[in-house]
Amino acid sequence: MTDDQHRFTGVYDECRQRVWAYVVSRSGRQVADEVVSETFAIAWRRLEDVPDPALPWLLGVARNVLRDTIRAEARREALAQELRAWTEGDVADQVTERIGVLQALAALGDDDREILVLVAWQGLSPKEAARVVGCSTAAFRVRLHRARKRLKQAMEPAGPSRPRVRNNLSEEWS
Amino acid sequence: MNPMDELRAARPAHLGDAPVDEGTRARELTYAMSHPRKARRGRKVVWPVWGISLAGATAAVAAAAVVVTGTGGAPPSAPDSVAQPAATATATATKVRLSAREVLLAAAEKAGSQPDEMGAWWHTSTMQRTLHQVAEGGYTVVERQRSEGWTSSATGGEQGGTYQSLGARPATPEDEAAWRRAGSPREFEVKVPGKPRAITLSTSPRKPWGGFSPLVDGDKVFWLGRNVTMKELRALPSDPGRLKAWLLRSYKGHDTESESVPMASDPWLYRVSTGLILDMPVTPEVRAAAFRMLADLDSVKVIENVTDAEGRQGAAVAVEEKVRDSVMETRLIFDQETGRGLASESVVVEPGDAHAGHEPGTVVGTTTVLEAGWADSRP
Repeated sequence: MTDDQHRFTGVYDECRQRVWAYVVSRSGRQVADEVVSETFAIAWRRLEDVPDPALPWLLGVARNVLRDTIRAEARREALAQELRAWTEGDVADQVTERIGVLQALAALGDDDREILVLVAWQGLSPKEAARVVGCSTAAFRVRLHRARKRLKQAMEPAGPSRPRVRNNLSEEWS
Repeated sequence: MNPMDELRAARPAHLGDAPVDEGTRARELTYAMSHPRKARRGRKVVWPVWGISLAGATAAVAAAAVVVTGTGGAPPSAPDSVAQPAATATATATKVRLSAREVLLAAAEKAGSQPDEMGAWWHTSTMQRTLHQVAEGGYTVVERQRSEGWTSSATGGEQGGTYQSLGARPATPEDEAAWRRAGSPREFEVKVPGKPRAITLSTSPRKPWGGFSPLVDGDKVFWLGRNVTMKELRALPSDPGRLKAWLLRSYKGHDTESESVPMASDPWLYRVSTGLILDMPVTPEVRAAAFRMLADLDSVKVIENVTDAEGRQGAAVAVEEKVRDSVMETRLIFDQETGRGLASESVVVEPGDAHAGHEPGTVVGTTTVLEAGWADSRP
């Protein structure tokens, strides 16, 4: 066991489940293990580039791996299944109020959902999240503001017709 | 509640921070480390395992902490050949300052006459023990981790090994009593200095994992102030003065772990040369030269009648270091009969914040070398 191996194991144990959760929220469970596995292989190869905290860097790598290795079609199918799982309550501890929020999140576009997940579930600061999605912090704040607004609208039960899950490629990878 | 708070509260349970299952963890770590490392310049690459606990001040706690993150342990009742936990291992140490030089020169004589026949693989087997204070319940646990290291002696070869946490258990009988009062939990949270979140240790062993990757740059095997090849390691000077000069060519006035932390040349030499005695495949003559070189450093002292965490008797050569707000002593324990390295330990001398719960004299981390030698093949 070398020092590098120690450090790598530490990074893995600290971040693995967070990276997995991010990938699941982008592409579902079927492909998540494969993407996570490749992400950490890259982290090992480039260990000296891994900053502390490592999570935003790892999420950025996972995002690229997802884009480069998983076909858009496969990703869409797996994601649709994952989003159904969130809202149909196949997850044991689901509480009714939570389902409404998750339904609203599932109904948003991929970009909005990614931004909200990075901030609310991964606990990233706007600066860190901006680095993950590859835009400026200022641009990210604007996008976050809009995503929050659309989430709020989607959560209002009597609101206008909800946006449907979008599969717009150009929007997904922007 | 605003939408973001509602969203935060609605995270599905399976996307939470539950630990990854053991099979997946072992598979993913093994897969990742089967890939070659990107070559790099100027930074250390191959620390042998002692480097971790040795780097004591910066590392005994800091680096061991990295190791421990998310690792589990063996049940307190699990069979263990080691009778004493790390915390009590060196209670009988007596200091004999005057004979320090003689003790080290005698060890040099013994070390220099050991047999040495090079093989295809250098193999080390080590056990690392690290103390942790449990957040709730006021007791201390010791986690044990076992590693096997294999380094090819051939250019273009591989380096790697396996690694397993054997679980954590109460460190002393008093700790065990406190652990029982707390309901004998099989998992407990410990706070690691420098880490924002508490980590969870378990009494159960974790699955072993490991892997092999090509040698750095195709031929670098260990770090000795800089990365060295097996050929360089085998050709080190056997004269203590020339060995010292050779090592000091890589000394730049700072800590081995951090370029921003200044470090004097004696502790630097001590840290770098520990591997020569403990677990690197140097010739017997070079190991003898390392003892002679240490004998000439003013800032090291010798402690006789020391017992390592495996219960083996020896003497220790030690230096004190300020680590953040604590004063720590690093001990290299060796067998006086053979001049072989047995263990490195990090001992609290003056506890600062990071060691507030540890009495002076507590061994907070130790790496024992169970085996270090040549083999014809690897498993």
